[in-house]
Amino acid sequence: MTVIKSKPLREIFKILIPFILIPFSVVIGAIISPERSYLYVSLAVTLLSLLLFISGFDRKQTGTRRMVISAVMTALCVIGRFIPVFKPITAITVITGVYIGGESGFLVGAVSAFISNFFSGQGPWTPFQMLGWGIIGLLSGMLSRPLKKNRWLIVTFGTVMGMLYSFIMDVWTVLWGGGFSAELYLAAIVTAIPHTVIYSVSNMIFLIILAKPFGEKLERIKLKYGI
Amino acid sequence: MEILKVEDLSFCYPGEKEPVLKDISFSVAEGEFLCLSGATGCGKSTLLRLLKKELSPKGDRSGRILISGENIDDLDSAEKIGFVMQSPDEQIVTDTVWHELAFGLENIGMKREKIALRIAEIASYFGMSAWYDKKTSELSGGQKQMLNLAAVMAMSPDILILDEPTSQLDPIAASEFISTVKKLNRELSLTVIITEHRLEEVIPVSDRIMIMKDRGIAHLGSPRDIVSRVGDSPEILASMPSAAQLYHAVDGEGQCPLDVREGKRFIETGFRADHTALTSEKYTHSEEKALEFKQVFFRYAKETQDVLDSLSLTVYSGEAYFILGGNGSGKTTALGAASGLLKPYSGSIRVFEKKLKEYKNNSLYSGCLALLPQEVETLFLSNTVREELIDAYEEAKMLPIDVDTLLDKHPYDLSGGEKQLIALAKVLSQKPRILLLDEPTKGIDAVSKQRLAEVLRLLKKNGITVVAVTHDVDFAAMCADRCAMFFRGRVVAENTVREFFSDNSFYTTPINRMTRGYYSGAVTVSDCVELCRLNGVRDGAAV
Amino acid sequence: MRSFAEYNPIAVTLYFILVTGVTMFVSDPIFTAVSFLGAVLFTLMRGGEGQLKRHIFSLILFFITALVNPLVSHNGVTVLFFINDNPITLEAVIYGCFNALMIVTVLYWFSAFSGIMDSDKLLYVFGAFSPKVALVLSMALRYIPLFSERQKRVRSAQTAVGLYKDGNVPDRVRGGVRVFSIMTTWALEKGIVTADSMSARGYGQGRRSRFTPFRFYFCDFLLIIISVIATAVSVWLTADHKFVFYPALQFPSVTVTNLLGYAAYGTLVLFPVINDLKEEIRWRYLRSKI
Ligand SMILES: Nc1ncnc2c1ncn2[C@@H]1O[C@H](COP(=O)(O)OP(=O)(O)OP(=O)(O)O)[C@@H](O)[C@H]1O
Ligand SMILES: Nc1ncnc2c1ncn2[C@@H]1O[C@H](COP(=O)(O)OP(=O)(O)OP(=O)(O)O)[C@@H](O)[C@H]1O
Ligand SMILES: [Mg+2]
Ligand SMILES: [Mg+2]
Repeated sequence: MTVIKSKPLREIFKILIPFILIPFSVVIGAIISPERSYLYVSLAVTLLSLLLFISGFDRKQTGTRRMVISAVMTALCVIGRFIPVFKPITAITVITGVYIGGESGFLVGAVSAFISNFFSGQGPWTPFQMLGWGIIGLLSGMLSRPLKKNRWLIVTFGTVMGMLYSFIMDVWTVLWGGGFSAELYLAAIVTAIPHTVIYSVSNMIFLIILAKPFGEKLERIKLKYGI
Repeated sequence: MEILKVEDLSFCYPGEKEPVLKDISFSVAEGEFLCLSGATGCGKSTLLRLLKKELSPKGDRSGRILISGENIDDLDSAEKIGFVMQSPDEQIVTDTVWHELAFGLENIGMKREKIALRIAEIASYFGMSAWYDKKTSELSGGQKQMLNLAAVMAMSPDILILDEPTSQLDPIAASEFISTVKKLNRELSLTVIITEHRLEEVIPVSDRIMIMKDRGIAHLGSPRDIVSRVGDSPEILASMPSAAQLYHAVDGEGQCPLDVREGKRFIETGFRADHTALTSEKYTHSEEKALEFKQVFFRYAKETQDVLDSLSLTVYSGEAYFILGGNGSGKTTALGAASGLLKPYSGSIRVFEKKLKEYKNNSLYSGCLALLPQEVETLFLSNTVREELIDAYEEAKMLPIDVDTLLDKHPYDLSGGEKQLIALAKVLSQKPRILLLDEPTKGIDAVSKQRLAEVLRLLKKNGITVVAVTHDVDFAAMCADRCAMFFRGRVVAENTVREFFSDNSFYTTPINRMTRGYYSGAVTVSDCVELCRLNGVRDGAAV
Repeated sequence: MRSFAEYNPIAVTLYFILVTGVTMFVSDPIFTAVSFLGAVLFTLMRGGEGQLKRHIFSLILFFITALVNPLVSHNGVTVLFFINDNPITLEAVIYGCFNALMIVTVLYWFSAFSGIMDSDKLLYVFGAFSPKVALVLSMALRYIPLFSERQKRVRSAQTAVGLYKDGNVPDRVRGGVRVFSIMTTWALEKGIVTADSMSARGYGQGRRSRFTPFRFYFCDFLLIIISVIATAVSVWLTADHKFVFYPALQFPSVTVTNLLGYAAYGTLVLFPVINDLKEEIRWRYLRSKI
């Protein structure tokens, strides 16, 4: 990512890769080859873009305090996952992105996905989840200024992101289950409806409850310690 | 050679009207041991943090700070200045002891082989080889703080700054810690700046003392000098070593004693010993038992050890019962069990002669029992002190603290001692009949402590039972009716306060150690003063 | 020599990536079967708690995933029977079983890997390519138990000053939110203290070195070399051996070259088991001399 000099172009790429390139390559792969090459392609692209993001971040100088606060938010995400059914990862990732910045958002999303899979099971889906949640954090950081203005904007944004995330993960479920086809994907989405609904609703509830107090706390920390 | 020089330093926190520090100037010589003292909230921590660039709080600063002649802003201070903070836990960064020791060295890019050598050296010097491989979370409070010191010392700084390093430690660990610091100071010619509220141990080893008051420096000089000068300002005298307090209380002459050894000589050469004991009123207790443990066993997890091991104790209604004991001996756990928060797997606990189980629906906590936790921050839930004190303003007024100036602050912005007192006010507002206090005096200065002792006496007069856990033997000697010694999960000794401290030889007050074998049963300064007056001056002695 | 878990974590990670990579992406039942064998043997060999659960879970997962494929995919020419007018084909059943075996195998490998990699090792591996992620990961891992513990303490402290006094449900929910909120404030503030303690000891001034107990020994290089060569050889030698599932099953016969390829992969997959067995025997022998 750091090879690209122009900043806007870089930003475009950041979104292009995960949201367009990956699903695209996955579907193309599925059409061209009925075997597993699309799995290979998608995993490779995911890992690559994760690496790109992370190496991009690594070159940037970030304050120690900001890093530690990211770790704190990550730990809160994971602890929240022990509450059955409700998982606050998306909510906390969005809030972190909005109030601390896209980089922290990305780190919190990606690392929480990684850690929480130690409790719910690691698998080849881990990189996809890491990237998915990472991107959500990054996007929230990019849209931080408009989102901060209104709590309901954050709530709406977070809820939509959560749903989008579910749908993209369903693509992955289907891929993994044996081969991509529109019917299978539809079937997967339909079977996942209760899960998606619970997930979205809980996500919304979390955002409604957490957005304001977390926002206040993070703002205070920023003001007092100058993160 | 001056290693640190502060010139006209002033500092104001953002959003505050009044500066915390105003026109402070002083300098510290290389190899000096400087002790900083002053009332709660007078800005000691702020001053110390300003000396370390990475820890400087945000705010308006004016004046200059020079380290070895160079301005602090143009300096990488990480290697030069080591800083040990108050709370042992949060300073630890990694999860194993060896990695914690190596952390700072990694940061300055030291080569692997050199790191290995350096931490081997440090671990041996601090006697940590046995726990080199341990997880940091498994260490006791004293070990953690020793590890923090070792990790800082691994970087071989020129100046070591310590902000109340022993406030969480038991007296034995605290004194071990201070003597290690002194050893470093002596053997490596390390410059040490330390603040403490318990000055008993620190003053005798200090080269100079600096006392802060009203945003500035009130006194600065050698311990003997200061100690003999402060006789007429009781609030400063209160934080001085017991020997010095005694000296002033009996209007002593000649050289002022500083430590136990000198105090003992002062008493024995100065006063007769015709009456060796005070007539103390006989200990009586009410019939009602406020708290009773009967062979209580508790452990945190199945596969760990018993933390409470057949604990039995009885506290009678209306008395003040103090529990002392080492770090990790299970005192906090015992209070947790007493307040029904931890469930023992065997044994019974009764509060006011009723089993804990019989207090249904948390009725125990409405007007019957309240607990001041060891980490008082767990009580704060609002953004301002004003909101915290909504139901507790009356109680806060009673405490030795100027609440009105703090009302608009965030609870986390308070100084250590202020937090402690605000939390206590919140607990008192529950109007409990039995009050459990976990380390109520940590971070509080000596004067506030005396006032707090008065508050406790007042509570006791109103019939409230007080059970307190403390590392502060002086405070226990001031307030307790009975004391208990905790060791590995049970009470090993229990007695009325005089007998208790007279029986102990290490876990006791300095006054008791001074009068040992000469007078019996003297535990507080006022006890000893009374005995001295009673006996009168020895013939020909210059007192 | 050391047990497999004691090899350098980077070597172990590479080994693991290659083995699961082949299992996932090479669509060849023989590879899958070999890999399955290796994964299960290694799991059995390491023993430990939760073993039985792991196997039962795998069995259930196997059946479910194996069943789904013939139900939704009606490719294939050999119709076995009809369900609701949908043909169930032999090809789909076999492909389902094969795919399910692959999934189960990969999960076995993943769980074996998680079992070997404790947090120190993870950080070592992450630190090798991204110090930032490694830092956030390590702090977060340290904070998780700390915060849950803290949450308990806050709840206790609040209970003891009368938070849940009424004991009804709204009171409890409100209490829960309050506890989480206090914990968050605390966590953020303490995080700052930790960050300060880090920068006070020079963190973030650049030029950082790493002090770890992990080293590269000869056998680590050996493991890396074996892994890379065995993977390359096995994929290369079996490239001409194509299994076809749809529309009709085609199992081409196995040539000697192919066999060599499978053997190479077999060696790779069984490496941990062989290594640990050898260690065990050596240790028994050495101990007998004590
Ligand atoms: N971040 C902050 N914002 C505003 N005020 C603050 C902040 N930190 C401290 N203060 C105030 O500054 C004063 C000095 O605080 P400081 O912590 O330096 O005191 P201290 O002398 O170390 O007290 P103690 O002995 O209790 O530790 C206190 O009144 C405190 O309320
Ligand atoms: N939540 C917990 N889970 C597991 N072990 C614990 C927990 N809390 C305390 N312990 C262990 O129980 C023992 C007693 O701890 P406790 O906090 O009661 O000691 P303490 O006497 O209050 O010490 P201190 O003087 O340092 O406050 C210690 O060994 C400690 O490690
Ligand atoms: Mg302080
Ligand atoms: Mg305790």
